[in-house]
Amino acid sequence: MPIHIPEDLAEKAAIMREFGRLRAAGEHVPPELHVRHINATNDRYTTGPEPGERVPDFSLLDQEGVSRSLANLAGPNGLLLVFYRSADW
Amino acid sequence: MEQSRSIVEREGVRIAAVSYDSQETLQRFAEKYHIKIPLLSDRDSAVIRSFGILNTNIAPGLRAHGVPHPVEYLIAPDGVVVRKYFVPNYQHRVAASAVILREFGVAADGAPTVTLRSGALTIEIGLSAAKAFAGQQIGFFAKFTLQPGWHVYGSPLPQAYAAASVAFEDPKIIRQSFELPSAAPMRLAALEETIPAYTGSFRGSGSLLLKFPLEEGKTVLSGQVRYQQCSDTVCEAPETLPFELPLTLDPFVVARPHK
Repeated sequence: MPIHIPEDLAEKAAIMREFGRLRAAGEHVPPELHVRHINATNDRYTTGPEPGERVPDFSLLDQEGVSRSLANLAGPNGLLLVFYRSADW
Repeated sequence: MEQSRSIVEREGVRIAAVSYDSQETLQRFAEKYHIKIPLLSDRDSAVIRSFGILNTNIAPGLRAHGVPHPVEYLIAPDGVVVRKYFVPNYQHRVAASAVILREFGVAADGAPTVTLRSGALTIEIGLSAAKAFAGQQIGFFAKFTLQPGWHVYGSPLPQAYAAASVAFEDPKIIRQSFELPSAAPMRLAALEETIPAYTGSFRGSGSLLLKFPLEEGKTVLSGQVRYQQCSDTVCEAPETLPFELPLTLDPFVVARPHK
């Protein structure tokens, strides 16, 4: 069965809100909604710099408030830099 | 990630993680879960944007607006991407142990292995770690060792022969890959054929994407090795050997630092 992937942000938002509402209420999420949520969230995903390309310079505060960049994060063989959703939800 | 920190650091690689959370949120989270790896606060998603991985499916006003696609990069000290890991489903993450096994050939402490023997061939198969979460992508390796004078076949291969392969047949695995190094062409004088073959010792590596959700606790992953071993004078029939590797599925930790 082909799965409809919404083009429209508002339609995606409606799916995400409904999914979030059921999750927050601890209610059962129908598998069909689960799949629609995954597809809406991952539509036309991008994965950034390719192997062999240089990553953009960055400087960010860590959990202790210390400024960190590639130079002071990497070990002798480099850095595994993980982008993730959130530590809050 | 925190659980894999020691094996990763042993290989000279550090781990850091980026999210759009505030520094205060990350501080609470790190204290609560005893996390030592740097958690970087990209409050306005500027770095996420500069990497080109902002999730643009999420409308302004939604809590998740500003999150990245969950990409992991192994970056050399000079800033060049060595490899990147991405699973296009937010419930799935690549285990750090899978990265280390793939990049450095080292499994986590206590990672299970199994050794199979048949004729002139010994095969050792192992997972990247003893523990995993449902939805994670873990790694595995298979090391083949042949006695002198014997070979097994590689790919591509005429239909009459069976190439060496390792495949998991397990409903807990939703996607897998396995790669062997290229096999050297071998001239079979008696058959007047040249086909790819392995001799001595060689090693392949692969990945296993675990289903989500899965029941937590001790379980096994089952699979089979297929190969055909031959010497200069004898060629055995293709063989298939089943194997099992133990794996403990950890319960999911839900991040709720405010409580």
